[in-house]
Amino acid sequence: MPFETSFITVISLSAPIVLVVLGETINEKSGVINLSIEGTLLITALTAFAISVTTGSPFIGFICAGLIGSIVGLIIILCDTKLRMDQIAVGFILTIFLGKLSSFLGQDYVRIPGPYFQKVSIPFLKDIPYIGPSLFDQNAIVLFSFIMIPICWYMIEKTRWGLIVKAVGENPISAENRGIDPEKVRIISTVIGGFLIGLGGAAFSLHSKFGWSENHTGNYGWICLAIVIFGGWNPIRASLGAYFFGIFQILALKLQSYALGLTQVLPLIPFPLMILTLVFIQRFNKSDNVTKLPKILNLFFGGQEPGNIGRPLTKK
Amino acid sequence: MNSFEFKNFYILTIQVILAFLLSSLIIILLGASPLDVFKNIFNGAFGRPEKIVKTLLIFLPISLASLALIITFSTGLWNIGIEGQIVLGAIGATVIAKSFLGDTALSPLYQLIFGVSFGSLWGLLCGFLKVKFNVHEIFGGLGLYFVGSGAIIYLILGPWSKEGIASTSGTDIFNKASWFPTFSDLNIPALPILIVSVILILSIVFLGFTKTGLKLKATGTNPDSTEKFQFNSGVYIFIAFAIAGGIAGLAGVFQASVFHHKLVPSISGGYGFLSILIVLASGKRIIPTMLLALFFSAMIAGGSQLQLRLNLHSSLISIILSSVVFFWLVVNSEVLKTKLNKLFLKDS
Repeated sequence: MPFETSFITVISLSAPIVLVVLGETINEKSGVINLSIEGTLLITALTAFAISVTTGSPFIGFICAGLIGSIVGLIIILCDTKLRMDQIAVGFILTIFLGKLSSFLGQDYVRIPGPYFQKVSIPFLKDIPYIGPSLFDQNAIVLFSFIMIPICWYMIEKTRWGLIVKAVGENPISAENRGIDPEKVRIISTVIGGFLIGLGGAAFSLHSKFGWSENHTGNYGWICLAIVIFGGWNPIRASLGAYFFGIFQILALKLQSYALGLTQVLPLIPFPLMILTLVFIQRFNKSDNVTKLPKILNLFFGGQEPGNIGRPLTKK
Repeated sequence: MNSFEFKNFYILTIQVILAFLLSSLIIILLGASPLDVFKNIFNGAFGRPEKIVKTLLIFLPISLASLALIITFSTGLWNIGIEGQIVLGAIGATVIAKSFLGDTALSPLYQLIFGVSFGSLWGLLCGFLKVKFNVHEIFGGLGLYFVGSGAIIYLILGPWSKEGIASTSGTDIFNKASWFPTFSDLNIPALPILIVSVILILSIVFLGFTKTGLKLKATGTNPDSTEKFQFNSGVYIFIAFAIAGGIAGLAGVFQASVFHHKLVPSISGGYGFLSILIVLASGKRIIPTMLLALFFSAMIAGGSQLQLRLNLHSSLISIILSSVVFFWLVVNSEVLKTKLNKLFLKDS
């Protein structure tokens, strides 16, 4: 029974991180690094909470947070395509700006109660062991985050749209030669990815870390960036990475009473793992090395970085 | 030639004014008066001699971090891991301060050696991942930063915990011998000022007048050219990270032994990230960088006044700084610069 409760907690606790890594995976597939996540999460978490307190409807707060996430994405991609500014520089500045803005604007919302999403119990489905209580007897955010995983995977891997996004992320010039407008593709994917990141921020303040306090989602943004890489730009593996991270969080909580300091140190585990993943990806994914990597390791550490990631589009 | 320079200056003035106007708009939108805000910040930073010293104490690590970043940015590297290098420098200083060397007169010297080596090592590690494993320095740097902050929390709560009870408020205050010597009643940190001045001059000479500096910049501007001129860009990435990490480590030593006199979890004060903003805005030029570093330090030092006098949250300072840098980059982007040129210099 305690194992089942932990399982449920992991699925539920990881919902925001799943949404964020899915969003950023879409961004990076199209070749755009949204480095602002750390700040975007803070401002969208505040937006969601403040609006749901004001309007009394968490749903409106949830959607507004998504819209703010989209706007942040739009700023980054417009600065990149229209003004030829460095997307990493813009993302970095926005990280600091939005993070501090959330501290400034959020002063009146610190530790106050607010409305939250009701539990959605789906009859029959909720009785399936393990999966039932963790998905079908939770609030809508958890269910939504879980459903988005296969949807994102399908969109990226199985549709024409996904193919176009990947083509632009890989080599925008040859995509353009085939009649695709890389600029448009990048704008659309960054806005969609930003929307999911914004929803992720909302999922913190409306669900897993309910409420608002200064620096409420501190460091989660950077962690999400690490998990996207750990996920090898694959939505399913990135989500698994998010759940994996959830396990670390639970462990940290459980071990708190045994070893002081572990609570602060364990959540930092994704970072060395991110470095390891990158080392593996670069080391073994060169064409001549593919066969040398054991299959099981490839499953966890393989992956292909989008070829044009982080680079601006060059006009023909 | 003369009129050309004048034109540049003219456009520059318009750009600076535009960036500040747009940022003032943000201050107004947040419900404060830009004039009041800037007046209070100026008073808080320079109003009394003690305040000037405080501004200086903030300026020292920020100017060092900015110089470190100029070197990595010149080599075309995004050294986002600078926060980690500052943290490691502070840990290096604390290793000495907590050891038997901590109460000897030479403690500051050993701290400098250890802090600089620790920082340099952390930078090199990032460079190693980049050159040997092709790990992008942003992610390598971020990863190493968080490993460093994990280490600092572990050390503060574990081996270096306060006597009696471990607390995240930091270690015990260092032994007096480990503080850097200061002079006059104002506690002016003479030695750190001297060190920063020397590093400033060395950086100017290094980047402007040495072969290695030139090759660093060549690696940054056009990595492909390095093959043509037959030198290994990897070596220069190592050099850049080693130097930058060392200078950042020095900033960490100052944070621990000159400013806090102890190790605290947030030892870097976020100065590494703020310095990235500085260098983004100054475009890697040393003198503008130093001026901006001074502006940033004054804003941070004066910012503590805002809460007291105007009842404004201290986060407003970073909001202003980041928006100034953002709008500056917008008006300084090639696209808008051309438009400004057309708009204001029609007749020439």
